[in-house]
Amino acid sequence: MATVVPSLRVKVLFFGRLRELTGLAEETGELPEGATLAQVFERYAERYPKLAGFRNSMVVSRNQEFAAWDTRVSAGDEIAFLPPVSGG
Amino acid sequence: MGNASGLRESLRPGDDGLFRMKTMEEDKFELVRAAIDAAALVRHVRAGQDGAIVTFDGFVRNESHGRETSYLEYEAYESMALGKMKEIAAQIHEKFAIHRVVIVHRLGRLEIGETSVFIAVSAPHRGAAFDACRFAIDTLKRTVPIWKKEYFADGAIWADGELPPTPPSAKSAS
Repeated sequence: MATVVPSLRVKVLFFGRLRELTGLAEETGELPEGATLAQVFERYAERYPKLAGFRNSMVVSRNQEFAAWDTRVSAGDEIAFLPPVSGG
Repeated sequence: MGNASGLRESLRPGDDGLFRMKTMEEDKFELVRAAIDAAALVRHVRAGQDGAIVTFDGFVRNESHGRETSYLEYEAYESMALGKMKEIAAQIHEKFAIHRVVIVHRLGRLEIGETSVFIAVSAPHRGAAFDACRFAIDTLKRTVPIWKKEYFADGAIWADGELPPTPPSAKSAS
């Protein structure tokens, strides 16, 4: 019998050049319980290989606060991948 | 910066004994898609108890790294950007003896010479207003999730930006 890995649902957002690269502004994703933000990114980098090269020139936010890559996600989180900011 | 005349030590309670200057109710934070009315924002921060207003007007330059710019397009993570603008206001109220602050950023397509960001800070004395306004724009450019794309006659690029500081590790966070 296969083990059922509990999953959680999160909202994922892309901005700026990352949105252009993926062609994706926002989607709801299913993640295995215990996933970190780095693992969320890796999933998208598999789907959009060009993303991988941007890993060191971007930051990630969780629920609208900048977050460390080893932060674990919770159900209902809003996760965003953010290029270097250039407002002003 | 920040060690000049504008420090909190110069805060004085009002007639009723309350330190009113630290309240943020009269501050204003906006992301707009129409032209920014700078004069109205300056009026918003001006009050009888103040003696100085310092403003920062950031507008679209006609060139970037030697290339002639046609126009710019700004986008934002809007809910987070507004939250970060409020954090900046909270920080400058904490650091400097200011009265009111407004921070407005425009999004969408902007032509050369149009204002993209406007900050106004009022204070009883000029030192705090200068220091707080400088701190606000410098911090906005590092921490508020807004992005600009530069359009030229022969193409477009995302402007070089700054990576916001992030917490080193989640180990101690929830």
